[in-house]
Amino acid sequence: MLDILKKTLKTGCQTTKYPDVPDVAPEGFRGMPQLLSDKCTFCGECVKVCPPGVITIAEKSHEKTLALSYCGCIFCGRCEEVCQSDAVKLTQEYELASLAKEDLITIIRRKL
Amino acid sequence: MTVEDEIEIMGQRLNDKIRKIYGRSLHIREVDAGSCNACEVEVNSLSNPIYDIERFGLHIVASPRHADMLLVTGPVTRNMELALLKTYNATPAPKLVAAMGSCACNGGIFGDTYASMGGVDKIIPVDVYIPGCPPRPQAVIFGLMVAIGKLEQKISKTEVKS
Repeated sequence: MLDILKKTLKTGCQTTKYPDVPDVAPEGFRGMPQLLSDKCTFCGECVKVCPPGVITIAEKSHEKTLALSYCGCIFCGRCEEVCQSDAVKLTQEYELASLAKEDLITIIRRKL
Repeated sequence: MTVEDEIEIMGQRLNDKIRKIYGRSLHIREVDAGSCNACEVEVNSLSNPIYDIERFGLHIVASPRHADMLLVTGPVTRNMELALLKTYNATPAPKLVAAMGSCACNGGIFGDTYASMGGVDKIIPVDVYIPGCPPRPQAVIFGLMVAIGKLEQKISKTEVKS
């Protein structure tokens, strides 16, 4: 009995204070992918390798668009691996919950 | 003002009231609709001493009849389609639905095939989407807080031109 009490006092409170204190994900955590519009060459390599197929590329009326939906993204990091121009970066951001599906879309556009 | 507008305003007020009520306590029923069990592991860890969602008044219950919210994981396989619908109908209204994990949001790695529906929102209306494969327990806590209106969502649609 005393041993258990001693152990409990020694361990202390282990519960995270998460919503009040922000919790930073550990180094190397694969979170939200970010598209950098100034570096992207619209080669379409990430579109080919994306396992769930959430990255789409479109070309119409002298404009190229690359769209990425976090809704369905499995955060595997393949897009970051294959990108020649380092235009995709996986951040440590994980608080992606949203009330609408449209909020989870990122689009970059470029005029030809 | 037309009748539809009035109904919409009334619905909005009711929604606000529901969120106010849910702000105190929420009972969650976890539904596995064909998930790979990674999300279930994260849900298990939600009630351990480290994450401890009971301190927010969130409880995981054993029956949809006791629940206010369904936490659905998995891409909704053909075998679980009817079961999910029955669970949804068994939950007393007003009810919330959270789609947890990328599979529940959009099909994820399983996609939209003959064996899976590709997303919970094709069967039942979804209130909050929690992407992640699987989402961290903190991300799930954040999602539940967004659903009951205690925290604001951080992400919004971005469009960059260059």
